[in-house]
Amino acid sequence: MKRVYIPLFLFLLLILEGVATDFLPSDIVMGELLIVPHWLLVGLVFITLYYDRENTYYSVMYAIIFGLLVDVVYTGILGVYMFSYAAVVYLIHVLKKLLHVNLFVLLLMGIVGVGMSDLLIYISYTIVGIIDMFWKDYLFYRLLPTIGLNLVFFIILYPILMKRLKRWGSETNWK
Amino acid sequence: MSFFRNKKLLIFLIGFIVLVVLIGYSLRDRANVSIAEQMINDTVGWVQTIIHTPVDFVTNIFSNIDEFRNIYSENEILKEQLAQYKGLIYEVQELKEENNELRNNLTLTDSLRDYQPIQATVISRSPEQWLNEVVIDKGKQDGVNANMVVITAEGMVGKIQTANEFTSKVQLLTGFDQFNRISATISRQDEQDIFGMIEGYDDETKTLMFRIIEESDKDIKEGELIVSSGMGGVFPAGLIIGTVKEVVPDQYGLTRTALVEPSADMYEINQVMVLDRSLDVVEESDFIEEEEE
Repeated sequence: MKRVYIPLFLFLLLILEGVATDFLPSDIVMGELLIVPHWLLVGLVFITLYYDRENTYYSVMYAIIFGLLVDVVYTGILGVYMFSYAAVVYLIHVLKKLLHVNLFVLLLMGIVGVGMSDLLIYISYTIVGIIDMFWKDYLFYRLLPTIGLNLVFFIILYPILMKRLKRWGSETNWK
Repeated sequence: MSFFRNKKLLIFLIGFIVLVVLIGYSLRDRANVSIAEQMINDTVGWVQTIIHTPVDFVTNIFSNIDEFRNIYSENEILKEQLAQYKGLIYEVQELKEENNELRNNLTLTDSLRDYQPIQATVISRSPEQWLNEVVIDKGKQDGVNANMVVITAEGMVGKIQTANEFTSKVQLLTGFDQFNRISATISRQDEQDIFGMIEGYDDETKTLMFRIIEESDKDIKEGELIVSSGMGGVFPAGLIIGTVKEVVPDQYGLTRTALVEPSADMYEINQVMVLDRSLDVVEESDFIEEEEE
């Protein structure tokens, strides 16, 4: 039963992303800044760090499945989110072996993860020709505000998720 | 052959190939998305409808509190305007009746202006802000089809990009590019209308670009109203798009482009109408037959 909670939770995050802009004040949304809620990725980073074991790759699998769902539901250009989320989650999975997990490592991973995945999305959309944005504009109007907002989300989720995920992780039978 | 034994590299390469294939597949000009995608979209849309209601309720409370402050002054202005509108409504009704009578005399029953509205609610907005898409809770089952125009009370907001069975995706005006043109016009007296095309949205100036096709010597003033002309084939005529903000020459200096500020708010969209034009598009075969006669 515990195994079902995680996909359900990720699905909830996927749906909340769609109403995320309602929560932000309209001055921010209407202004120059392009803030993207990568809440699903935030959830995936939590799962990688606190739930997944060293030799299991559930987080990468979820990243592929839910990344594809984001592509289908919100963008219509398949593969972009799937690839960038999966690559970033895999990278974090590797980095996890080198670092002792605590709040600061989590936030560091958050910055690296959100930044890298958004950069990958920017690169793929630029290659495909959907967007045409100078890299400096991208950096200041999109990348930095996006990392900032998602860090706030990391801090909000931390007390809710950390203990639960650890418990679920230790209770699960890893085959 | 140590290259192929490196499993991780192989998986990465396969993943990359899958990425390219998927992007290539989704970038084709797809009027209809695959059944699997439609099912996912409808399922997610169904859950979103449930989630959207409480979220909307909470966010509305906050915006309502914000609005309380200037309700009094707004009310005064609105009362004044209402008095003016009463006369106007009467006049419009008279004109409509007269127009109908005249049309009946000419046996011109259908006009480019007629449409059937389909009421819809916005249930989510794409978190990817580059794409400017929202999802509404009406689909093919309710008569929504791709390329129909979507409006709010203030004016045009976009068009249907893909229609699923129970939900549909709307491409907002702010995401329009040169592939989504709208035939538009500035209405003038004595058949001096100015025709042109809305050719996409400019992110820097936050305006739509209205390129004037003909007679660019005519003066366009700031604040003039741009409406759809109905010549594009899908959109009905007479829908408000926006007001002229500035007129600039284009890059070759041959034509001029008016920068148009959309009159609808693209960020706080809740209730929309999808318009199904009553007059069918003239099929090419019909057109040839008529000419032969």
